[in-house]
Amino acid sequence: MQLSPDQTIVFTLGSWPVSATIVNTWIVMVLLVGISMLVTRNLRADKAPGRWRSALELIVTMIQGQIEEVTRSGARHVLYFAGTLFLFIAVSNLLTVIPGFAPPTSSLSTTVALTLSVLVAIPLFGIVNGGVRQYLHKFIEPSPIMLPFNIIGEFSRGVSLAIRLYGNVMSGAVIAAILLSIAPFFFPVVMDMLGLLTGFIQAYIFAILATVYISSAMAEIPVKTSEKDKKHD
Amino acid sequence: MSIDWITVLAQIANFLVLLWLLKRFLYRPILDGIDAREAEIARRMADAEQAQQHAKAAESQYIEQRAKIVSEHDALLKEALAATESKRDALLAQARSTLQQEQKDWRKHLEYERQVFNARLQQTGAEALLKLTRKALHELADATLEEAIVRHIGRQLQPMAAELIQASAGSQYAQVTTRDALPVSTQQLLQEEVQKWLPQVRLSFATDAQQAPGLIMQVGGAQVSWTTDSYMDGLAELLTQQAANSAAVRLRSDER
Repeated sequence: MQLSPDQTIVFTLGSWPVSATIVNTWIVMVLLVGISMLVTRNLRADKAPGRWRSALELIVTMIQGQIEEVTRSGARHVLYFAGTLFLFIAVSNLLTVIPGFAPPTSSLSTTVALTLSVLVAIPLFGIVNGGVRQYLHKFIEPSPIMLPFNIIGEFSRGVSLAIRLYGNVMSGAVIAAILLSIAPFFFPVVMDMLGLLTGFIQAYIFAILATVYISSAMAEIPVKTSEKDKKHD
Repeated sequence: MSIDWITVLAQIANFLVLLWLLKRFLYRPILDGIDAREAEIARRMADAEQAQQHAKAAESQYIEQRAKIVSEHDALLKEALAATESKRDALLAQARSTLQQEQKDWRKHLEYERQVFNARLQQTGAEALLKLTRKALHELADATLEEAIVRHIGRQLQPMAAELIQASAGSQYAQVTTRDALPVSTQQLLQEEVQKWLPQVRLSFATDAQQAPGLIMQVGGAQVSWTTDSYMDGLAELLTQQAANSAAVRLRSDER
């Protein structure tokens, strides 16, 4: 039993083996971008939105609303980052219901990659919004003695993010596989349904924690106007 | 559980690519579309507000114009009513004047008709009176009317003799006028009667077609006569009174 799709090599690109994790990530990417391109082409302000456009607007505005609740501002660059995290993880976890599809998020490499992205994004957002000095100043607050603890806390956030997502998704897939071998007719369906719910919750948790970390990095920064946000974009 | 760092790098690259693609094809179009739609809605609401303000302004203008038109209409109506009343009064005054003039003309015409009638009545009555008198005298007294007149004149001369002599002022001629020429015998009879009381007076006879039937003798400034005028005047007075009574009765019945 393979616990990670990293171990499944789909094809080799030169000397580089392309694993199922990467291929399935591409599938998720094509799905997300393809639907977005199909829906958002030929958008016009004077025409009433269709059902697909309304659905996408609903998803985007819901994500934006959640981010605004956390950050108390409507920073678009946070939306792009956290929204992409949420959509990628949620769609990956949703595709668990397709037999034979191993979600990329069940790979520790993927979750580590996402966590590293978050860990890089946090100082980046903080520095872009308030400058290097103000960002680094937060590590010696409330006292310079707290510097090592703050650094450890910063890294432990990433580790917890990565392990939490990987553990939940991988365990769900493993439990479904075990139940499939024991009772192949009823329990796997229930567990898959539970897996969908868990997958959504994990996507939400990962995205919202990333947003919280980013907003904490931007906490000392005054609320930015949307014009400035656009400029940052 | 192992970490494949090549896969990690590839997934980071994949995530960044996905981030850029979603920003390009999802977030920006959707959020810009929402912003554009909100702007469009705001613009339409502003247009609607402006249109509503225009409509209110037009409504108030319409109400004002309507009030003005109603006021003008009332003024014109009053003016027309006043003009109509004035015209009616003028027409009534003209009608009254015309009526009065017509009544006056009618009365004149009635008076003329009455006078014509009276004249004809007098003429006809006089002729009838003469005819009847002449017939009665002939049948009852075997005498002519002219002789009777002469005798009547003769009876009048006796009490008036002194007055007539004085009126003649020494004149020796008296003028006798009749409508028709008197027979010679009658002329001689009259001359004899006059000779009894006025011996120095000679008679001359003349006719006057306009004169009433009878005889008029003019002696100086005095006159002795007998004509049918006095009888016809009495008859005309009687008929006029009766006609007036009949007219009054008819007028009262018309008024009812």
